[in-house]
Amino acid sequence: MLGAIIITSDQSRRVRGGTFVSAEGSAQTPLAAVEVLGKPPVTRLAEALWEVCDLVSVIVCPGRHVGAHSRSSLPDLADECFANYIGKGCDAVLIARCGAYFELDISNMLAFHQEQRLECTRAFVDDGPLDVWIVDPSVVPSYSWAFSSSACARTAVYRSQAYANRLQSASDFRRLVLDGFHSRCLLRPEGAEIKPGIWVCEGAQIERSARIVAPAFLGRNAQISEECLITRGSNVESNSHIDFGTAVENSSILPNTYVGIGLDLSHSIVNGRNLFNFQHNVSLEITDPVVLRETTARGRGRQSSADIESGMAVSSVE
Amino acid sequence: MNMAVSKKLDRKVKTRKGEYKMLTSGPIVVMQVPEVLNVGEVHNFMQELGPLLESNRPRIVLDLSQVRSMESAGVEMLLHCLEEVLKRDGDLKLAALSPEAEVILELMRVSRVFETFRACEDAVRSFNAIPAEAVSQNTPWYANVFNELGVVKQAS
Repeated sequence: MLGAIIITSDQSRRVRGGTFVSAEGSAQTPLAAVEVLGKPPVTRLAEALWEVCDLVSVIVCPGRHVGAHSRSSLPDLADECFANYIGKGCDAVLIARCGAYFELDISNMLAFHQEQRLECTRAFVDDGPLDVWIVDPSVVPSYSWAFSSSACARTAVYRSQAYANRLQSASDFRRLVLDGFHSRCLLRPEGAEIKPGIWVCEGAQIERSARIVAPAFLGRNAQISEECLITRGSNVESNSHIDFGTAVENSSILPNTYVGIGLDLSHSIVNGRNLFNFQHNVSLEITDPVVLRETTARGRGRQSSADIESGMAVSSVE
Repeated sequence: MNMAVSKKLDRKVKTRKGEYKMLTSGPIVVMQVPEVLNVGEVHNFMQELGPLLESNRPRIVLDLSQVRSMESAGVEMLLHCLEEVLKRDGDLKLAALSPEAEVILELMRVSRVFETFRACEDAVRSFNAIPAEAVSQNTPWYANVFNELGVVKQAS
């Protein structure tokens, strides 16, 4: 019996903070919790784990980088979850601190872990370790102990050639979008493919005179006004609005963003009032609400951790 | 030529309020645009720049190296200034654009409206270049080539 614990951050708070679109990508950058082609990587991970694990728990840490345990409540909650899994008879527990997008073969990793007969197995990809472990609960007494130095000494290394994107910077985020469009990874856009390479989610509105050039993605309740152009691998995520005559080229518009009239947005990621431009490597906040602003959610509302499918335990650290 | 321009640029002229750095190179005015160009700053900046726009054949270079943020009011101001100087047979050029200013101008689709230069000196120098209209339209296109050949022959 395999249990899984995913530790992630709360996207909705982060989006309001607007700090994650940065040039460098710092500890304040929870890009794994941000919608990519309709769904955050952490939600995709939870769904993938649900296929192979018997128990899946998601621990949501508000306003904090998932790797940083600045408060004692997170390890406590994880410990509680871990103890619960032991009580339910789990042979192995997978722990994923979700800061990256990865496509590990969990069944294969579990088989490797069982062969090695060590307390811990950590996943490694080409460019280094991932924050993914499988631990043996009969030997490892708690979640906290799994990350102690004594546990690290007896950790097996599971090397994988699987696709992984560390999502450490805005460029990584954009690369993941393009990899999804071009099928370089298993991440597929949500919604229906209305024309080859154009995916549109439920509730999206496209005016007749707007032009969408493949590959492109329009999220839930996205609105594309007249005379707009969406081209060169751009994605407009849920509840975003591109207003009259604006051209969006090789850019990502994150959820709940309004992009004003007659603009030329290229090589950028936009999140509310924040814009990061790849060509000039510059991040700036546009204070003018007629140009860029956050929108209020329509329809189903903001994407949040609650979107993680029902049936999984979702706990929040307060 | 370079020296002359730079010497003239070194002459610093204080504005009435002393808020904006203004440099003159003969009749060419180089003015530094403030870091934040919002509605309030646009008003203050225009108070300084306004009288210059009303002069005969104003030749203005705006130094955007300090710009970190620009609202649509700032872009409108730039367009208004360009319109005013063109009305008076002058010109307005942008120089030393910060990455932020460049992104904003591209975003608002006005980057191609202005003539832009890497450095203020380049912008100042460009005013001294022979304007296209100064070349006689009656001269055949090959006239310059033959003139140049003549110069080469004389030199050799």
